[in-house]
Amino acid sequence: MLSRILIFIISILITSCISVEICDDDNNSMMVAKFMTMKDEMPADSTVASLSLYGIREGRPDSLLYNQDPTNNFKVPLDPHHDFTRFVLQIGEQTDTLELTHRQELYGISYDCGFGNLFTLDSIGYRTGMIKSAEIKNDMVDAETKEDDVHIWLFL
Amino acid sequence: MLKLKRMMYISGSFSKAVFVLLFLAVQGKVSAQEVSEQEVSEQDTLRTFGPRIGIDLVPFFYYFTEPKIIGAELSVDFEIYKNLYPVFELGYSSTSVSEETFDYESAGNYARAGIDYNLLKLKDRSEHHIMTVGFRYGISVFKHSSENILIYSDYWGDYISEPHENSLRGHWIELVGGIKVEVVSNLYMGWLLRYKFLLNQNMDPVMIPAHIPGYGNGVDTSTFGFSYSIFYMIPLIKK
Repeated sequence: MLSRILIFIISILITSCISVEICDDDNNSMMVAKFMTMKDEMPADSTVASLSLYGIREGRPDSLLYNQDPTNNFKVPLDPHHDFTRFVLQIGEQTDTLELTHRQELYGISYDCGFGNLFTLDSIGYRTGMIKSAEIKNDMVDAETKEDDVHIWLFL
Repeated sequence: MLKLKRMMYISGSFSKAVFVLLFLAVQGKVSAQEVSEQEVSEQDTLRTFGPRIGIDLVPFFYYFTEPKIIGAELSVDFEIYKNLYPVFELGYSSTSVSEETFDYESAGNYARAGIDYNLLKLKDRSEHHIMTVGFRYGISVFKHSSENILIYSDYWGDYISEPHENSLRGHWIELVGGIKVEVVSNLYMGWLLRYKFLLNQNMDPVMIPAHIPGYGNGVDTSTFGFSYSIFYMIPLIKK
């Protein structure tokens, strides 16, 4: 009887101790932006023919971060070294500078995957007029971005 | 690009558990046979009562496992009423682990209090073997910390965070069952199987403790534990 109980307990332990965990190669916190337009005074999805996006890195040369055509959204990592992240967006011949201000705090993703940064978006700035307006939809950007996450809307 | 980090491993704690369980299986079988095969003496000797002080031997075994856990645990119980044994357990435990993107340390003291109930009916008052079930309330006061925290970023440059440290209190409940066999007069050996339920997993909003002294891995809201102890009963009272 005792041996049966022990076999039962060992079976439970085996089941509970075998696990499969999927970790990103890096733990970047990815912000998802979606292009929108106003249609009949209602926000609607918008698709751009081509998008190139450059990050503005202090002390380092700007470099291409994202290039896609056509697309209605983009997903980019936020800068963990500053309380702001700046991008240059190029859509066709037009460009604009997007500036996001944010706070960040450390959090443990899991013991196996390590740590990530949880960003809280505070504001969105833009300059030249290509972007008509912007709206924060979800101000929390963590290192576990899901398929349907959208953090900001950019109205063109 | 996702990296599949497959941990089809038999974890450190699991291998420890299997080792201890197999050991206990053999020991328990022998002990149960010893109890059942003993002849009931016709001589109704005096029964001795007193505090039983024990030291858990399992923490010394963990010293040789990976990751190494340094610890010690003492217990005391006393039969205050027929078959009822209040139990107090005190211990210390610490561990440190170096992972690819961070180093982790946890150390602190813990205490448990509860009651065991003896299920074994012995006719001979000179025998003091017991088979118990019971419960414990556990509290752990400890500090855990992570250093050298690295978050990779190809584009913005790798980010090295400030160390994280927090002083915490963990609370849990245990259901326990086991045996204690008197091997020579007043000297006992016994094992205890514990099933633990953590009451406050989110004690640290930044990181769930990977090692709660006295409980185990804080990622698990329930877990097993084992004690294999040697006891000495101080014979204070004879009835």
